[in-house]
Amino acid sequence: MSTRSLAGLLAVALVALATGFVLADQVRTQLLTPSNQVGRYQALVRSVQDLEATNADHRRQIAGLRGQIDELEADAAARSATTQSLRSQLTDLRAHAGLIAVHGPGVEVLLRNGVPSSGASNPSGYLVNFQDVQDVVNLLFAQGAEAIAVNGRRITPLTGFSGTEGQILIDQGPPLTSPIKIDAVGDRNRMAAALDDGSKLPGVRAREVQFQLHLTFEGMPDISLPAYDSSLQIPHVSAS
Amino acid sequence: MGLWLIALLVALVATIQIRSQAEVERSLVGVDPTSLAFLIDDLHRANDSLEAERAELGRRKATLQSGQTGAADQVLRDEAERLRALEGLVPVQGPGVVLVIDASGLSALDLHDALNNFAAAGAEAMDVNGRRVVTGVPVVESSEGVSIDGVVVRSPWTISVIGDSSRLQQVADLMTQQLRADRRVRGASYKVEADVLITSVIGAKPFVYALPS
Repeated sequence: MSTRSLAGLLAVALVALATGFVLADQVRTQLLTPSNQVGRYQALVRSVQDLEATNADHRRQIAGLRGQIDELEADAAARSATTQSLRSQLTDLRAHAGLIAVHGPGVEVLLRNGVPSSGASNPSGYLVNFQDVQDVVNLLFAQGAEAIAVNGRRITPLTGFSGTEGQILIDQGPPLTSPIKIDAVGDRNRMAAALDDGSKLPGVRAREVQFQLHLTFEGMPDISLPAYDSSLQIPHVSAS
Repeated sequence: MGLWLIALLVALVATIQIRSQAEVERSLVGVDPTSLAFLIDDLHRANDSLEAERAELGRRKATLQSGQTGAADQVLRDEAERLRALEGLVPVQGPGVVLVIDASGLSALDLHDALNNFAAAGAEAMDVNGRRVVTGVPVVESSEGVSIDGVVVRSPWTISVIGDSSRLQQVADLMTQQLRADRRVRGASYKVEADVLITSVIGAKPFVYALPS
């Protein structure tokens, strides 16, 4: 084949490629528009992003309002011994409810997604899920943890965990995904011993082997946990 | 000419295939649309709760700013009462559901899951066989069975929950269906009640390690 023929063939191939891209765009639009698969998905993603932005904004405002209320209460307490006493009682209750930032010795646990395994009976087993987080949090509380935060979200007496596959929802916060950092303040030796015990957290242990799911932890001399920044309303409960 | 046509056709088909596939894969990476729809529902509900909290805090702030005699004390008393209820320190009552599970061989993890299902559905107070439960109360496996805060709770488990009855009912309904399919479970049933009374309380435990920042 002569040089001229080769150049001609290349030129045709390039034109064909360019034509292919143009036609592909056209065909793709016509193929996908009827089901509107991508468009609908993108609309859902945009909705999630908008709702997450609103969520963050509300939580920022709540934290700000709680700070302002604290200052107003401090002013009132400075003028009245009764108010001072009430405020002191409330401080302890707020700390136990997670409404006050705390610090102290403890452990930091890291959970990280593993590696997908072809042919596994549980294809999403490599993902850190809400039950894993729930199990670690419960284990730490059972070992005397006094305060816990998950990726900076403080756990409260009303906390519930939910989610799908790798998405972890805690109370009214936005979804969390791997890596998940669980900070707990309490007796770090006791908590570390439980985390080191191979008989605890059976679900995570099995997937450490099957999917290389990661669970690591470290004792820390001083961990800081933020205050809870969401709702703690209990509209259906009344004192009996 | 024939060769050119074949080259054109191959390029066209390959391009269509690659670009369409790449587009779909790029957009569907991570979360499937059904999960996204559930996520949107959860975020709507969360934002409604946050909005209500923000409004409540705004009212509290206005009351404190009013400077009226006793206003601050009332605000503090009201919040203390609410926190005692949600921390399980006082008896409470309200609408909710009562779920009874008669089984043998259920573990602490099973009870954790049941309690968490209710907590995630907005439970505001819970009790199992007369033991008050909030997140943080140890529910563990012991040699005699499942224990709550050091006390063994034997089957049948009666789980009393206060909160939004309709949401709790949905969860209870789903749970009873799943439980009835479990070989370890002899029976599972629930009732929606207008007034669930929870008299059990948790003893206050002062922090030893955690200090206010």
